[in-house]
Amino acid sequence: MARKLSMKQRYAALTRDLDWTPSYVDEEKLFPYTRFEGIKVNDWAAWEDPFRLTVDSYYKYQAEKDKRLYAVIDSFAQGQGHLSLSDASYINAMKLFIQGVTPIEYAANRHFSFLARHYNGPGPRFAALCQSVDELRHTQTEAHTLSAYNKYYGGFHSWPKQFDRVWYLSVPKSFIEDAMASGPFEYLIAVSFSFEYLLTNLLFVPFMSGASFNGDVPTMTFGFSAQSDESRHMTLGLEAIKFLLEQDEANVPIIQKWIDKWFWRGYRLVSLIAAMLDYMLPKKVMSWKESFELYFEEQMLEGLFKDLEFYGIRPPADVAVAIAEKEHYSHQAYWTLYQYSYAAGFTTTIPDAEHLDWLSAQYPDTFDKYYRPLWEKAAKIEADGGRFFNTGLPQLCQVCQLPMLFTEVDDPEVVAVRDTVFEGERYHFCSDGCARIFADEPEKYVQAWLPVHQILQGSCGGPTLPEVLAWYGFQDGDSGEYVGSADQIDWQQWHSDEPVRS
Amino acid sequence: MPVTALYPEYKYPSRSRQELYGDDILVHVGLRGNRLFAAPSTHRVPPAMTFAAFLTDIVTPWVSSDPELDPQGLRGWTLDGSAITPEDTATLADLGVGHKSLLTFEA
Repeated sequence: MARKLSMKQRYAALTRDLDWTPSYVDEEKLFPYTRFEGIKVNDWAAWEDPFRLTVDSYYKYQAEKDKRLYAVIDSFAQGQGHLSLSDASYINAMKLFIQGVTPIEYAANRHFSFLARHYNGPGPRFAALCQSVDELRHTQTEAHTLSAYNKYYGGFHSWPKQFDRVWYLSVPKSFIEDAMASGPFEYLIAVSFSFEYLLTNLLFVPFMSGASFNGDVPTMTFGFSAQSDESRHMTLGLEAIKFLLEQDEANVPIIQKWIDKWFWRGYRLVSLIAAMLDYMLPKKVMSWKESFELYFEEQMLEGLFKDLEFYGIRPPADVAVAIAEKEHYSHQAYWTLYQYSYAAGFTTTIPDAEHLDWLSAQYPDTFDKYYRPLWEKAAKIEADGGRFFNTGLPQLCQVCQLPMLFTEVDDPEVVAVRDTVFEGERYHFCSDGCARIFADEPEKYVQAWLPVHQILQGSCGGPTLPEVLAWYGFQDGDSGEYVGSADQIDWQQWHSDEPVRS
Repeated sequence: MPVTALYPEYKYPSRSRQELYGDDILVHVGLRGNRLFAAPSTHRVPPAMTFAAFLTDIVTPWVSSDPELDPQGLRGWTLDGSAITPEDTATLADLGVGHKSLLTFEA
């Protein structure tokens, strides 16, 4: 009679036992990507799988979660749930999410499935396979969750194309493509460690709590559905870094360099989240500053990095810059989005009086001094019948691809500019962090597809703004000022026609 | 530091190199001491353009969206970090403005 295997045995049979030692092909030929980065792995079998999950249990568990999510999506749609959001302006946060985050999930799906073939050891291969499936599931569930809004609101219709074309989406795109164009170990530090561990709470909690506070039940349910995957991904990130550090001492300086780089790249990417958190949520969750202090300073600097000290790892270079910038980050980022939103797939507006006061209270040392006067000036321009838009195309950082919008840490009125000349050509950076990343691998970053430079080269639909916006795939109502936008007008109309509810 | 690559001779041209702009160059222009404009802006211009034409055709239209700014009073010019005193008749090339140079000024 066949013996029933225990969970642990089944796991081993389905993962480790499917591995074999190549007999007629060199291992180096079979796994061509795991040496050029200089990482030494002496014993692949030392990889401890943080989760003993088999494929059948994995699918059963995920199917349950999907069932719950799709039931919520259906009932929200049937009950016209979108009408009970806090305000139509909330939807802008979700536009940013589907345009900027969902395509990262899809790219991660692609690359983890590549890695599921290319690590020498069966442990990391299987972990990569599971994460690849997770990322595809996230892409699908996010698209399905947010497609409910596509019927009623602008900005949701062409996100995969826009990810490849639009200026502010080149920030997440260049982030993930930089990771995918790295070797398999750097990718793990970039995505599994930096993105999924160091910064994950700064990335996901603002969106999911924002959804919960603003009546977006489907997105909140998606968040719960993804949460158990995310905690698995976090554990994978931690396992990956400990495995690499324990394998060989020579790995330590390489890993440290990648932590420095990917902390900074990830941190620059989340400037868009900082803007969303402080400016795009009608009902506030917490400020960027508070979120950064809790999820980064307390949990990572006081927690994780204390544990990593044992391996000779120190906190990321430039962490002091990020800490100093927390008083300014969201304000500078949203101020930029506000003035270029004529070319964005969402709308922006001047915060109302209550919102401005909330910002003053959250940022007592900086908001009234530096940022409230800008909003007052924008309000004055509006009162005179205008709307402040910056008509110049922004100068972009060669590495993070954000506009050069950040200021010097010791002087918030001076834009930080770093530059270098490489092989006779000048390149600019928003920070020491980005300048250092370039200096380390200039041959990689000279190839950056910078949206503004491409527009001026004539590669983006034509030389005029309407041609570029058409090439971006923007339609009437997608962009510009929120007040008076199609979303706002529809919202007001739907609510004025609303029958009295019991 | 050289790039960490799978193969030697990893060498690709810049995607923003000057030759992709014909006879033109890209010039970044930044306004110091005015945070209304969140970032410097990038423009495509011929290096034979005079500084006067550069002011009229490029800089003035850009800064005019600040109603409180006087485009006649631009001063304190810097080129790639060094102070310059540009003559109206000098061309950008005469002034030493190169591809992707950064000019800044105050108003």
